[in-house]
Amino acid sequence: MRPSTSRALVPVPPPPRRRLLHRLLYGRNIDRGAKARARVGLAIIAFAAVYAVIGARLVALAVMHDPHTRRGIGQEAVATARPDILDRNGEILATDVKAPSLFADARKIVDVDEAVELLSATLPDIDSGEARERLASRRGFVWLKREITAKQQSEVHRLGIPSLGFLDENKRVYPNGREVSHVIGHVNIDNQGIAGVERWLDTHGLAALHMAGLATDRLQKPVELALDLRVQHALRDELLQALEKYKAKATAGVVTDVRTGEIVAMVSAPDYNPNNPREALDPTRINRLTTGVYEMGSTFKALTLAMALDSGKVNLNSTFDARMPLRFGKFDIHDFHAQNRVLNVPEIFTYSSNIGAARMALAVGVEQHKAFLRKMGQLTRLRTELPESAEPLVPKRWGELNTITIAFGHGLSVAPLQSVMAVGALANGGRLIPPTFLKRSEEEARALGIQVIKPETSDKMRYLMRLNAEKGTATKADVKGYYVGGKTGTSDKIVGGRYSKTKVLTSFMAIMPADKPRYLLLIMLDEPQATPETHGFTTSGWNAVPTAGKVIARIAPLLGLEPRFDLPPADKLILAAAKDGR
Amino acid sequence: MLRLIHLLVVAALVFAAADVYKIKFNSTLQAEKVAKLRAEVRRERDAIAALRATWSELDNPERLQGLAKRHLPLKPVDISQYDALDHLPDRPPQVVPPIETDPIASLLGRDVDATGSLAQARGR
Repeated sequence: MRPSTSRALVPVPPPPRRRLLHRLLYGRNIDRGAKARARVGLAIIAFAAVYAVIGARLVALAVMHDPHTRRGIGQEAVATARPDILDRNGEILATDVKAPSLFADARKIVDVDEAVELLSATLPDIDSGEARERLASRRGFVWLKREITAKQQSEVHRLGIPSLGFLDENKRVYPNGREVSHVIGHVNIDNQGIAGVERWLDTHGLAALHMAGLATDRLQKPVELALDLRVQHALRDELLQALEKYKAKATAGVVTDVRTGEIVAMVSAPDYNPNNPREALDPTRINRLTTGVYEMGSTFKALTLAMALDSGKVNLNSTFDARMPLRFGKFDIHDFHAQNRVLNVPEIFTYSSNIGAARMALAVGVEQHKAFLRKMGQLTRLRTELPESAEPLVPKRWGELNTITIAFGHGLSVAPLQSVMAVGALANGGRLIPPTFLKRSEEEARALGIQVIKPETSDKMRYLMRLNAEKGTATKADVKGYYVGGKTGTSDKIVGGRYSKTKVLTSFMAIMPADKPRYLLLIMLDEPQATPETHGFTTSGWNAVPTAGKVIARIAPLLGLEPRFDLPPADKLILAAAKDGR
Repeated sequence: MLRLIHLLVVAALVFAAADVYKIKFNSTLQAEKVAKLRAEVRRERDAIAALRATWSELDNPERLQGLAKRHLPLKPVDISQYDALDHLPDRPPQVVPPIETDPIASLLGRDVDATGSLAQARGR
């Protein structure tokens, strides 16, 4: 109404329609009745408009949900809840607990010095210099101490310092500490995953949830890993004992299910406590199974033999001349357990003959050798859920000499998990299945796997590996009842560009049971020392193999493997059965 | 007539206002209750999470192994101690037929169920 009255004061005559309205409402010469009706009508329109607005707002409120009404009363801090991580039996590996954090409104602080003094008396581990700086900053929100205990909270509360407040934050805890450190990884103070499976969670949608501020509640579905905490513990316990016994620099072990590619246990020691992630920065604590690359030594002969057998150019009765060292250019290839005679294929495997393996690879050919290793995933980076992965060190120019050395596991460095995947394929009937830390069913594994070698070759490889445990280098791992088979490996470490004579990396790859493999175990020891018990030897058969034996005796019952006694030897059980079956 | 209608309308208005107030009051009460329950649920859930974390910390195999080593005379199970269920021998046939009445009890001539020990003896 106001514009029209102000308009009335303006000398310029209003437009005709306005004039009519104006005259109806205020005109002197209009009938009083008509004027009253017009005024009432105007009032009705005004009220109707107001009510329409109210009604529309009501409808809007009812239909749309106001997000602000759902914010809880409690002071929920940053939206950083993470799903629990469970092992395959539902044991908690990582979970969130609420922990109060102390903050301050630095604008409202009265006496900075007094506050700092009182606080450092109550919270001994607070950095008083930093606290003083923060409190003097005159900012509206400063953190003073993240993640304090409930007791500390009530003590600070009782100090009665104005402008202090508490926020409940999600704190990530790892109840099993060091046991699962390298698999789980850890988070930073803002609950963002920075290593291991935690990091994988972030890259698979959790980070986006956090950004959107949606992950406040603990209603997220827990993540189930393939890991078995009991097996993990048994493996770690035995490896730590071996680390001490053989005074090795480091050790690592992994147990995988060869049918599904699931990683049931993975240990790399020295490890760290994920509750104290600062330890992880120490470079000796890296995950040697995925982040390190190593020349796997004789374990690689298993791949060479499988390639030769699969190519059809070699069969189990083929013989190779190992009477004298293999001379190539200025290099001589020697055997560690030199027999100085003509060896057949099983003998090459059980005596771990470098000459035999090299001759076999040469018989197949350089290009085929390269193609086979590529097919087995040994030349490309292996990707798992863990963000840490290392690229294998492949020779740039791959000549005959490279094929010779790679045939017995020198000259090509791969991540140990990579070789586990390949040997798993040799054992499980020839399917290469990428390893995973998450649960996977056999159907899924079947869909993922690629047939890389013939099932018959796999039978022969299992026979050879079992033979090695019966009368080869792996007899100390032949735990009665589980029909273990395996391949040992000892590789000289490169020190200053030359192969060292004393520093070795020993490894042992075991399959169990060898006639119908279910699990594959890798044990690795970095620079084990000779002890009186090993009669001065540092080769795999004296350290990695006995360790594997102990591990198998402990984990096989946990894995549900049934002990079977009085089984016939490998040539009867595996070879004969394979011939009958086909 | 018009006055009566006015009165009625005013009365209806007052009644409606009172009713709306009651509903509004109730809904506020309920909303508060919901908020309180929700906070309680959240608190409980946090407490459960904290307890579960503590539990699995106490349940940690490394800790249990240490405790077992220190306090128990037990040794790790040997493989020879495992066997399949179907290797179990059949249950031996019962040589002595079970006695219906307890001879001593009948000698005493007392109610055999008076003590637990007698009842157990008879069951055997």
